[in-house]
Amino acid sequence: MLKAIDPEWAWSTWQPDAETPWDLRAAAHLVRRAGFGATRTELQGLVDAGPTATVDRLLQSSAEPDSYRSEMQSLAAASVATGNPERLSAWWAYRMLTNPAQLLEKQTLFWHGHFATSAAKVADIELMLAQNKLLRKFAFGNFAELLLEISRDPAMLVYLDSASNRKAHPNENYAREIMELFCLGEGNYSEHDIRELARCFTGWEIRNKKFRFNRYQHDNGPKSVLGETGTFGGEDGVRIVVQQPAAAIFIARKLVTFFVMDEPQPTPELLAPLAAELRHNDMQIEPVLRRILTSNVFYSSHSVGRKVRSPVELAIGFLRALEGSTNAYELAAGLQLLGQGLFYPPSVKGWDGGRTWVNSSTLLGRSNLIQQLLTNENTRFGKQSLADYLSACGANSADAVVDLFEDLLFAVRIPTAARERIRTLAGDLKDKARLHDAVHALCTLPEFQLC
Amino acid sequence: MSTTSRRHFLTTAAAASSVVAFGRRAPAILQQAAAGQISNGRILVVVEMAGGNDGLNTVVPFRHDAYRRARPKLAIANDDVLKIEGDLGFHPEMKGFAKLLEAGHLAVIQGVGYPNPNRSHFESMDIWHTCQRKDEVRTDGWLGRYLEQADASKATDPPALHLGEDKQPFALMSRDVRVPSIRSLEEFRLNGNGSQTFKQAIRELSDARRDSGNDLLSFVQSSTSSAISASERIEAAGMSQKSASSYPDNRLAQKLQTISKLIRSGLGTSIYYVQIDGFDTHAQQANVHSVLLRSVSDAVSAFINDMIATQLGDRVLCLCFSEFGRRVQENASEGTDHGTAGPMFLAGTQVKPGLIGKHPDLNDLEDGDVKHHTDFRQVYATVLQRWLHTDAITNVLKDQFKPVDAIRNAVEGSA
Repeated sequence: MLKAIDPEWAWSTWQPDAETPWDLRAAAHLVRRAGFGATRTELQGLVDAGPTATVDRLLQSSAEPDSYRSEMQSLAAASVATGNPERLSAWWAYRMLTNPAQLLEKQTLFWHGHFATSAAKVADIELMLAQNKLLRKFAFGNFAELLLEISRDPAMLVYLDSASNRKAHPNENYAREIMELFCLGEGNYSEHDIRELARCFTGWEIRNKKFRFNRYQHDNGPKSVLGETGTFGGEDGVRIVVQQPAAAIFIARKLVTFFVMDEPQPTPELLAPLAAELRHNDMQIEPVLRRILTSNVFYSSHSVGRKVRSPVELAIGFLRALEGSTNAYELAAGLQLLGQGLFYPPSVKGWDGGRTWVNSSTLLGRSNLIQQLLTNENTRFGKQSLADYLSACGANSADAVVDLFEDLLFAVRIPTAARERIRTLAGDLKDKARLHDAVHALCTLPEFQLC
Repeated sequence: MSTTSRRHFLTTAAAASSVVAFGRRAPAILQQAAAGQISNGRILVVVEMAGGNDGLNTVVPFRHDAYRRARPKLAIANDDVLKIEGDLGFHPEMKGFAKLLEAGHLAVIQGVGYPNPNRSHFESMDIWHTCQRKDEVRTDGWLGRYLEQADASKATDPPALHLGEDKQPFALMSRDVRVPSIRSLEEFRLNGNGSQTFKQAIRELSDARRDSGNDLLSFVQSSTSSAISASERIEAAGMSQKSASSYPDNRLAQKLQTISKLIRSGLGTSIYYVQIDGFDTHAQQANVHSVLLRSVSDAVSAFINDMIATQLGDRVLCLCFSEFGRRVQENASEGTDHGTAGPMFLAGTQVKPGLIGKHPDLNDLEDGDVKHHTDFRQVYATVLQRWLHTDAITNVLKDQFKPVDAIRNAVEGSA
């Protein structure tokens, strides 16, 4: 099996060579991880630009054009006006599908899973939208600042019951989760730390949908949190937590699992250089993200094809590769059925990802979602039918169609026997139903479930 | 083999193997057949009666003066109750349960509740689901914790299934095991454009082993293959001869019939969860409650009889509960308000039939409510220990509870 990965090699800058060139497949791997996929033409542009310039561009949050941002803001406002959280879910799916700033969307999704907050409990989509805006704002920014902001975020306060955190009855929910799930991980704090940290947060409330500090409900007494003692407030509490050595390791681990590989769990040795990078940059996310996305390990067989596509990556990725557009509302509902409802993470722990995405129920569901996208009357590929689009792309034979899919959508190559079988299914591409069958079959292949 | 004969072959093979494997005299084969299942082939079906079932008009103390006094409008007439024993009888619409009891397939556990009862639907339901109170951090449910300690994440078929449109029950939640909620079998089926060549291609494509050295790919390949065969098993089950007993026409019964199909198709799922809502009978209770009790009693008895008829009776246990009972005294709207303790039901061939525990004393009330004498977690402990055979009961229930004697020992079961 896989040998232990050498940390120094792993995070050194990848230099393309004859064996692993910077080509269409490498560029496709990068945009599948640092975004949701791209068309052949877009990928060709990235190949010409080179890997470093491509990652630089992905990391510019300003890559989101102002016109696009304001259009999305008015769409969001319209969704909020309906009061229907499913509209907001559709709005985000549409954003992922259409935003040129792909890594911004991907990293926002990362933080949504990290600081998981569900509209099922918060039940106020204005607050959910405000949190999404916060996650976007800090997507590549300073983690310590983001952690403080999220601790005062009204949606989070509602979700983890901090809004009822009063002097006489400190609520331990947020104090526990900020250490266990947001910053340190189990084993890096005690039950005593939880109780004391909860006292720091007393008096943090919501008034008129905004954070408010109620000094009458704040416990002014001395507290001892993670070895420090003082008459701490919530800000101190967050600072003490994020200063723990475990914090940088914890964030590095989540980033590696999200961007590089589902399995195996990265070792502390492998994470150490990234944790050091985070500390060195005062917990800024951008430098460490750049390091990850330009690294040897990222372009190696430890990473390529070593993640299970999340439902979002599956559906949005399929559409983006083929310039697809569809009814965002039904798309969002489909994602929810597969276990990744946007704004509806299953618990405060977020989505576990990896193997947990697939079981017999979701595997059938994933195939059915592709079928649904293919047959939905609102689905267009490059504003035309799939057959016309593929033909316009020059994919005029069954072989060419399989090649196109393999280049854009398959991290793991399609086995020869499967290729033969799908070619038979597709026939000479004259019959639309047979073409759909072939594409549907391609997207039901085990290989397609990986990215 | 032609497609039709192949499908026919699958159908008969599935039907035949279930008879051979799960027949009463074949416990060894049962173990083998159920190897992929975390509970050694035993299946638990939970029926949640949401809204707070009026236990007093379910298991009726029909001869008690206190009962008649408290229920001037809602008391069931002596002649109408279906006698159980002594001065207790079922509500007249519960003929299905009465027959199950007569056949020795129903245990009625009386006076079930918990200390310091909470009368909020949500809070009390959460207590039943999680075995924890509001002031504790609740992230998972009792069945979710069971699945986690049983290492259900390794199973290829879903270890548990929730059938329904509602959000997933808290009881099934856990950190590591995801339980699908399916609204219908339509969702558990590969949708194609109906062409058989497509389906056959998909099957072949997913069945072919991959030797890539990529563990994830092998995992996804085997999962896809088993998903497709599970869905084919289900389709085959749908085509197989009709259930021996017919199901009544209510939604709960339809869900249980679906579960029967899934079980007969050989799906390796150990826990099924279904709900029936509407028990919150604050006003004009009599008719609504009759319909609800008839639905539960008819549906559950049809299901148990169906399982018995298909030689699967010994593998199935059905547990029915509600978040609380209702007040002893009826209210001014010919209804009843939120109360406390009530009866739970266990149905299946492996139960110790009859009444378990006394009917709560109507002359010894607390704030107008009956007192519980059996904690619901004792019943859960029974199911965990005697049925699911787990030894992690304390982890699952967050404390120690003494099981009630409601399920036969394994030795008695295989006789």
